[in-house]
Amino acid sequence: MKNRLRVLRAERNWSQADLAQRLEVSRQSVNAIETGKFDPSLPLAFKLARLFGATIEQIFSDESES
Amino acid sequence: MACTSNNPAQRRFFYRFAVAMLLYAAALVLSILGFVHYRPTGVLAYLLAVLPALPIFVMLAVIGVYLAEETDEFVRNLQIQALLGGIGGTLAVVSVWGFLEDLAHVRRLDLLLVYPLFWVFVGISTVVVRLRYR
Repeated sequence: MKNRLRVLRAERNWSQADLAQRLEVSRQSVNAIETGKFDPSLPLAFKLARLFGATIEQIFSDESES
Repeated sequence: MACTSNNPAQRRFFYRFAVAMLLYAAALVLSILGFVHYRPTGVLAYLLAVLPALPIFVMLAVIGVYLAEETDEFVRNLQIQALLGGIGGTLAVVSVWGFLEDLAHVRRLDLLLVYPLFWVFVGISTVVVRLRYR
């Protein structure tokens, strides 16, 4: 699944560690989600959406749709 | 399992696991000493013989509790994959060895080696899984 996490993070000048701290997960988790190696659960996706003030669809996109 | 120092669930896991290992060591010593000094028979012999296995049940339960307590879903996913690798590797080796015992008459595998073997495979799987997600 593609995502805009890296861009959203850069807009706020957050490091992966900063985002991890806000999400209460490890930096490795943020890296794995950001690089598309791990798809977050719905609760974590909602948490990310809330954090960035966006909808899940604005952050994540299904690669098969594009 | 890899430890992230700021992960409370992993810290609790390692503490509980260490306690279970100490219990195992104590139970093993108690069991051996019991057999050496008292040469028990019947039910008592069975009970004393299985005593060191009880902390192993505790260790397995500690793993289950850890997986339930781990709030970082990515880390939990890695640990589950590593544990599955451990289970799969152990079952594969034991199955192959079983056929070798029956058909090729190789040396009988000491069943006490199965549990340490599981952890060896968990260790190998942990490295492989971590490399995959690096």
